[in-house]
Amino acid sequence: MKRGRRGLRPAGNRDFRRTKKGWLYSAPAILIFSAFIIGPTIYTFYVSLWNWNVLNPSLSVFRGLGNYKELFKATDPSFVQSLENSLYFTGAMIVAGTAISLCLALLLQRGGGLMGASRLAIYLPNATPLIATSIIWSWIYNPQFGVANWVLHSLHLPTSPWVEGQATAMPAVIMFSLWHELGFLTIIFLGGLTVINDEYGEAARVDGAGPWQEFWRITWPQLRPVTYFVIIITTITSLQSFTQFYQLSGGGPNNATTTLSYLIFEESQVLQNTGYAAAVAIVLFLITVFITLVRRRTTPAIR
Amino acid sequence: MRSRQLAATAAAAAVTLLTVSACAGGGSSSSSTTTTAPAASPSANAGAITGPVTISFDEVYDSGTLKTAMQSAVKNFEAANPKITVSLTTYADYGALLTAETAAVAAGKAPTIGQAYESWAQKFATSKVIVPIASLPGASSTMSTALSSFYTGVQSDLKLPDGQVWMWPFDKSLQVLFYNATLLKAAGITSPPTTWTQFGTDLKSASKNGVVGITIDPGNATEGATSGEEWLEELAAANGTQVYTSNGTPQFTNPAVESALQYLVNLKKEGALATGTNYPGETALGAKKGLVDLSSSAGYYYEQQSVGGKFPLTTTLLPAGGSGAPDEMAGANLVVFAAASSQQQAAAWKFLQYLSGPVEQAAWSAATGYYPVTSQALTEPSMATYLKQNPWVSSTIAGLNSAIVDPPYAWVTQCGIDLSTAMSAALSGTSVSSALNSAQSACSSAQSNG
Repeated sequence: MKRGRRGLRPAGNRDFRRTKKGWLYSAPAILIFSAFIIGPTIYTFYVSLWNWNVLNPSLSVFRGLGNYKELFKATDPSFVQSLENSLYFTGAMIVAGTAISLCLALLLQRGGGLMGASRLAIYLPNATPLIATSIIWSWIYNPQFGVANWVLHSLHLPTSPWVEGQATAMPAVIMFSLWHELGFLTIIFLGGLTVINDEYGEAARVDGAGPWQEFWRITWPQLRPVTYFVIIITTITSLQSFTQFYQLSGGGPNNATTTLSYLIFEESQVLQNTGYAAAVAIVLFLITVFITLVRRRTTPAIR
Repeated sequence: MRSRQLAATAAAAAVTLLTVSACAGGGSSSSSTTTTAPAASPSANAGAITGPVTISFDEVYDSGTLKTAMQSAVKNFEAANPKITVSLTTYADYGALLTAETAAVAAGKAPTIGQAYESWAQKFATSKVIVPIASLPGASSTMSTALSSFYTGVQSDLKLPDGQVWMWPFDKSLQVLFYNATLLKAAGITSPPTTWTQFGTDLKSASKNGVVGITIDPGNATEGATSGEEWLEELAAANGTQVYTSNGTPQFTNPAVESALQYLVNLKKEGALATGTNYPGETALGAKKGLVDLSSSAGYYYEQQSVGGKFPLTTTLLPAGGSGAPDEMAGANLVVFAAASSQQQAAAWKFLQYLSGPVEQAAWSAATGYYPVTSQALTEPSMATYLKQNPWVSSTIAGLNSAIVDPPYAWVTQCGIDLSTAMSAALSGTSVSSALNSAQSACSSAQSNG
């Protein structure tokens, strides 16, 4: 018994991470992480306490929490409106992205030549550069000359202003983002489907369960860890999405697609309100940290 | 100084890394070279270039004839000034340029010369990273003569609120209208309209069978100022009130501005105006889906390229309103950064003089469609053929004397975006007064924050 336990986990390796060698092996990652993530994060918080003059920091003025108080004032675009837009986008991506990619994964799990080609076709958009496809889609969405309105017009359906309309801009960006991201999410679900236990499904079918009952009571519960992962990864990437908003809609019209990430860009790069932009970045960072902590507390382990 | 630079650079890197930085341009940063503008010290040797010197120039002439014309200008200048080498760094647009200039200054690696709009120059000057033109070695004795040769509107555009000349001109343009002459005739319009009222009527009558009279880009934070937003400013001025007072205070809720925006909303409702991005009017005109495009005179070659000879273009001045036909002058100026050495600043002054001189201005205008900033260029031989082929240039260039310009205050950049937002809001269904009230409030807030 004693030998067996020693064989499973040699005593000498138990605290390897805390040994000098452990620290040595971890050092490169720790250094890189400190230089490019931890240090800049701390410095961003420092900058957020100032009316920061990026051109000449010696002229910066200390504001304390002034930039954070400014977040809740009625500016244009406002922080609150940008937060709402971010949540709108993130919520839509979570619900639609998870549901559609799960459906696609269930359809594609059977294999075969045609299915293989379909998997490739669905994944392909995700392999394309976001900025390049955003440019192409800005032409697809062009209200006067775009393919999207041409199709609608050909089908005798009303055309849309797409990214030019206040009400339609965000749905249009969501449609593009789903097109780009679904391949990645589908592959994750497909991976989950390959490792779930088929025996439960077979037993359910023997007991007379229909396809829907089998999915709802057998398959999806086994996919719960994967679903959690998809939701969390979609939440984080959606909150940080920027490129499509920059290229497709420019945050407009009337700030309808100004998300937190776009607001940070506008304030820091266009208006050079670096301190205020840093405060927004810190809040976005805290939201992301909060979601990550919730995930750690609630997500069941992937078996 | 070094530690401050490092700290500032780290700050910008921090913001960039923490946020999503898919944005154009290089990294950002902070830190800087806090060089106070050196006092002008006239002497016999002022401005002399004593040895080989390289000056860098950050600009946006990245395509077409703009690129080749700038390369040609540098080549000619270097031939005439063998001790000076000009290193060009080209950016895709003004947004990328501002990001790059800011990052370069913050990293302590500012270019010698850079393009800058008036509001940028104000920010640069108050941050003490550029120098007044008069302080450049050799400039104190020659600047006033060169300055007086420019069109009066250009002259006043070079000054910041402190009254000093901080910028130097190179390329200027006014907005003009490019008509599809064939569609104009088909719509029964015998000559281009001379009033905004008639312009609106003509647009409505020509908007049929898939043709929309005019397509504009209201602009956004990504694009910055666009011809659509400038049109609103021109309409307001034609109604009797500019959108800013001379001290930069917004007047967005003035009835003249409301009337201007309502004019555009009415055109949209009548199907005579559409919106888009990325020079949509040019695209529509070239596709024979637009009657007219409102654009900078410097867009002439791009319009021709888009049209591709499918129909003749008619180019005219802007129509008039109750208070005349004010036109907004466009085109960034040049600034010299404080971090440059004395020799580089002396070389920079020689380069600025060369670029704004009659010979280069004539060559540049003929190649690019920009207006020359000095009337002396009009008599240059290289300008003769161009003026003959484009008679509208001669008839419109005097507008540089009376053109409207945005006041040189840093907050005007944000106010321009606020006005663009108000335009897109009103054109998407928000009431004109509500949209302009929001813009006024946001701009006033920016003004009070400085």
